[in-house]
Amino acid sequence: MSNSIYSFLLFKALYAPKAAFARLVAEDPAPLRILFRYSLWLLLLPPLFSFVGASQFGWRLGATEPLFMENEALALISIGYFCILFFGLVTTALISRWMADTYGANASFGRHVALITIVGEPLAVASAAHLFPDVFLNALVLIPTTIWAMYLLYTGIPLALDIPSERGMLMASSLVGWLLVAAVSLLGISMSLWTLGVGPLLGV
Amino acid sequence: MSATLATRSDAAEAVNNDPLHDSPADIYEDKVVIRLIQFSVVWAVVAMTAGVYLSAELLWPTIDFGQFWLSFGRLRPLHTNGIIFGFGVSALMATGFYSVQRTSHVRLYSPRLAWFCCYAWQLIVLLGGLSLLAGWNSTKEYAELEWPFDIAIAIVWVLFGVVFFGTIATRKIRPIYISNWFYGALIIVIAMLHIVNNLAIPVTIGKSYSLFAGAQDAVVQWWYGHNAVGFLLTGGFLGMMYYFLPKHSGRPIWSYRLSVVAFWAFTYSYIWAGPHHLHYSAIPEWVQSLAVVMSVILLAPSWATMINGIMTVSTAWEKLKTDPALKFIVLSLAFYGLATFEGPMMSFPSVNVVSHFTDWTIGHVHSGALGWNAMITYGTFYFMVPRLVGAPLYSVRLANIHFWMALAGTMLYIVSMWGAGVSQGLLWLSVDEIGELSFSFKDIMASMQPFYALRLIAGLIFLIGTCLMAFNLFKTLAGRHAVVVKAPPVDPAYAMVKEVAA
Repeated sequence: MSNSIYSFLLFKALYAPKAAFARLVAEDPAPLRILFRYSLWLLLLPPLFSFVGASQFGWRLGATEPLFMENEALALISIGYFCILFFGLVTTALISRWMADTYGANASFGRHVALITIVGEPLAVASAAHLFPDVFLNALVLIPTTIWAMYLLYTGIPLALDIPSERGMLMASSLVGWLLVAAVSLLGISMSLWTLGVGPLLGV
Repeated sequence: MSATLATRSDAAEAVNNDPLHDSPADIYEDKVVIRLIQFSVVWAVVAMTAGVYLSAELLWPTIDFGQFWLSFGRLRPLHTNGIIFGFGVSALMATGFYSVQRTSHVRLYSPRLAWFCCYAWQLIVLLGGLSLLAGWNSTKEYAELEWPFDIAIAIVWVLFGVVFFGTIATRKIRPIYISNWFYGALIIVIAMLHIVNNLAIPVTIGKSYSLFAGAQDAVVQWWYGHNAVGFLLTGGFLGMMYYFLPKHSGRPIWSYRLSVVAFWAFTYSYIWAGPHHLHYSAIPEWVQSLAVVMSVILLAPSWATMINGIMTVSTAWEKLKTDPALKFIVLSLAFYGLATFEGPMMSFPSVNVVSHFTDWTIGHVHSGALGWNAMITYGTFYFMVPRLVGAPLYSVRLANIHFWMALAGTMLYIVSMWGAGVSQGLLWLSVDEIGELSFSFKDIMASMQPFYALRLIAGLIFLIGTCLMAFNLFKTLAGRHAVVVKAPPVDPAYAMVKEVAA
């Protein structure tokens, strides 16, 4: 497989996702190459933006004073953020691959890793909003981006995995179920860590 | 096995409508089903409008215009009771009556009693709603109605049970299909919960005091509250899922055995989980811990059911081309998976200490109420109404638009409440170096305005989608009557009375 697909994915997937999905079908990418040359770098963006934003400006949750944390705690949170994103990408790709049998989709694992990466790419880029960590601003930016990512998931599965759109709709909905659970798990894990003393100083 | 029977029986219906040989005892009573669907849709619009108004009041508190009946405290129970008892129970009665006849191959036991239940229930919801606006309130969440209504509810509910179990008792087919087990559990458990939780000493016509005191009252209330969610909003709607999903997709349940195992596991474990609403309170700690353990165990039957549903529909993808309703049911399963995972997770004390009393709880409730209950009901109504009147849906395009509005509204609602909830939890508990609270409650609540604005938009989107459905169903029903459907003959292998071999 040529290297060109990586640069193609990196830039064009953002504004021409359907062409990117079509390219995936043409060249079955190797999963590890996609992961290390492409996905990993995208996954670094949100924790990096989050660290810089939180250390420079503090989290603005709407109340009068921004919430500052020690750099050590911030670094720990950012590393955790990266680990959980990496875990999320790999498990989502694995689950997608596992679901492929049920929905008659293409089983090439590389395609699944690339598909999930393309779907998540707008979110990784939009995480630039973390540079100014105001919760509402982040919500305003990330909600439409999430809707766009969901659109990519629903349109991408039939194109990238060679199945009819109706069957793709079922598979995408099953993956949405998993992603919702993953998102809410992230909230729960964060809160458990806060009460254990990792992160902001809470009176619990 | 029985799923196949249910499918087979409806196929037989189509070729078995010979009016010359109909006897009234064999003709399904479907008019009452249509009327209940109509009431359900009306209550959905009314109660969701109240919800949207409430969310606007959180942004602009003065829009109650000094009227007590428009105040948040009075309008909020109208919203919740209207949704649960008006929209939800009417839908459950409609789908329960529809499916129990078709899975029992017999007309409803006492159609007159069914009609009485239908109208009496609507009267209770209407007058009960007005009493809430007038300020009658027992102060128990989801059980706010005062004692005269509690007695009326108990009577009508028992009569609902008489119609349902009477139909089962007079069935012509031996197996009792899984959906009927869930509807049956709904009727029995809700009767038990409602009667025990509302035991009270009346003082005046509009005021009573609970028979239970202090912490005991709280435990009984949340035993009721959580299991109302469990057996009405979950169990009852699972009954709906188990009948209508196989019908919709034209496939038998993926694993009938799993559905039966999940039913008993669900029934056993749900009933213990209520005290997780009372963490860090005066109730005994072992009760709280037991509730956490049972909440986690509950995940197994909940997800077993979800997987059963998803696998049932997974091979029926071709139906999506022609049937917009199936999309609602497919997506409702995803939100069912979310809500039933989120609930046990929020019951962990280390999560609950932050999430409790925040808007995350409101988001959690609505991921279930909008994403699961409303979506599966909408999908079911889009399936039932055209079949009930023998005409195509007025507009498939409108139904498709409704689907995307429902999805967008639900997602926006959940995400805005996640944002608000996490912010509240974090800010309320933040302390400075000397251990004093960093932020005042007033400032924190004032800072929630943007999230509440997003929630208002989410609610409006969802409400407009519901209005589109109301219009679509109204046009489909307009000027039409219920199709006469006769119970098909029963396969002798499954008949109640086996023929004696000559």
